[in-house]
Amino acid sequence: MKRLNVEGYELRGDLYYDAKADMWLSVEDGVAKVGYDPLGLEINGTLAALVLAEPGREVTRGQAAGSLEAEKFVGPVTAPVSGVVEAVNEEAVANLARIYADPYGSWLLAIRMSDPGELGELVTGDALNESFARRLAAYRAQGVLAR
Amino acid sequence: MSLLENPTRPVTLRRTGEKAEGAQVSPEWVRISAASAIALQFRSGRFSRDFAFGGINLLLNYEDGCRSDCSYCGLARTRPGDYEDKSFIRVEWPLFRTGELVDRMAEKESSLTRLCISMVTSPLAYRDTVTITEAIRAKVATPLSILVAPPTLNRRKLEHFAEIGVDMIGIGLDAVTEELFRRHRTEVPAGGAGLSWEKYWSVVNDSRDIFGPWKVNCHTVVGLGETDAELIDLFFQLREREIFAYLFCFNPEPDSRLGQHPKSSISRWRRIQLAKRLIEEKGYQRRAFDFDSEGSLLNIDAPREAVEDVVEEGIAFMTDGCPGENGEPGCTRPYGSYRPTESFRDYPFLPEGMDLQVIRGELDLDGLMVQGGSDR
Repeated sequence: MKRLNVEGYELRGDLYYDAKADMWLSVEDGVAKVGYDPLGLEINGTLAALVLAEPGREVTRGQAAGSLEAEKFVGPVTAPVSGVVEAVNEEAVANLARIYADPYGSWLLAIRMSDPGELGELVTGDALNESFARRLAAYRAQGVLAR
Repeated sequence: MSLLENPTRPVTLRRTGEKAEGAQVSPEWVRISAASAIALQFRSGRFSRDFAFGGINLLLNYEDGCRSDCSYCGLARTRPGDYEDKSFIRVEWPLFRTGELVDRMAEKESSLTRLCISMVTSPLAYRDTVTITEAIRAKVATPLSILVAPPTLNRRKLEHFAEIGVDMIGIGLDAVTEELFRRHRTEVPAGGAGLSWEKYWSVVNDSRDIFGPWKVNCHTVVGLGETDAELIDLFFQLREREIFAYLFCFNPEPDSRLGQHPKSSISRWRRIQLAKRLIEEKGYQRRAFDFDSEGSLLNIDAPREAVEDVVEEGIAFMTDGCPGENGEPGCTRPYGSYRPTESFRDYPFLPEGMDLQVIRGELDLDGLMVQGGSDR
């Protein structure tokens, strides 16, 4: 597994990333496990609550698959792929501090994908560095990242 | 779908078990509110709504914390947990080196509107507040308030605050009657640490003498068991003396003695906000407010159009806080007494459009106005 480090943020070459949802995905047998990447976690401030779509629920790429609340922010958890929710990581939802400690060990949703072609719209492998640097610059410009 | 369950339940905010190494105490270190940390980019994060934010709140920090044990306060001595982990007014208050904080405030001075140092009840609080004030004043010109801890002060010390550049004094009266003050702040499990109704009022009186009209404010918490009549009577008493009343909505701190105590209904809160605006800024008299036998506000005897104008203006529903240099809102405490999933209790910006529609629904003016009311 290739690990990358972009300005202190760890990325993994074997995972897919969705820049709009701020999430990573690992895919096996048509099921995507998804979780927040380190930048996605940081931009919202300290998480207070996560409510995720229940198993059996259909979700659409780019649409809400739940909601997150941070200390000063509330917003959607965006589905990075379309499909049906197979499982929710209740342990992570119940222990939000753990997500910060281990973002890649803390998947949130397992989604059985209805359109594997959507993976082509995500970023992986060699394209990661440049894509992530762009995201980082955009969030810096918004002033939401600590200096 | 309803994305967040039980959006008004108080929650504990904690990221990781980050612990301080060694003593990180004032005046070398100081806490700042979560919103201040985000605005100064010490912490990453964002606000749900887009608005300018420049009110920086500082809080003294000691290893043994605040000596007081107020029933509703996140910093109370008998609230379980390490002092370092305690939330205050709902959120974490991260610690920073005072020098680093002052430098960052100087760098961002053009976007700052008001600074405020909150003392805690500690024998070192006065000395350290002076040190921090002087450090700020050496580099930052933004107006500076002190939210004082009365048991640590006397008239001479208040005069010294004025001499070193403090322009406003806040007194966290919180409980609006002597009986409530005693119950929540004086006769408490860990002892009252010198908090008494008389001492607080003596500091109010001295501050008013020293700092002048409309330069002193009393914090009043809505939801500690007071009646509407008691609150409104205090607003009149303070207006008479040209002292601001600042409204705070009680918000239960998890695990505090009032952790299970409900916050006031949004409709009561909105009516209190409206009444205070009518009294403080529009000159209404006591006789314009009618109460039932329990002291709940029943009617406002005023021309409907005049009250509608106050609602439309929106200012009544903004955060009460010390102003900026030119009278603009200075201290706005976004999401200070409500979760971002709840209705704004006080708006950190001027509510307009849809926000005013929501406010009108919450206020239910039809149920409050005497038809064809007289003028004040």
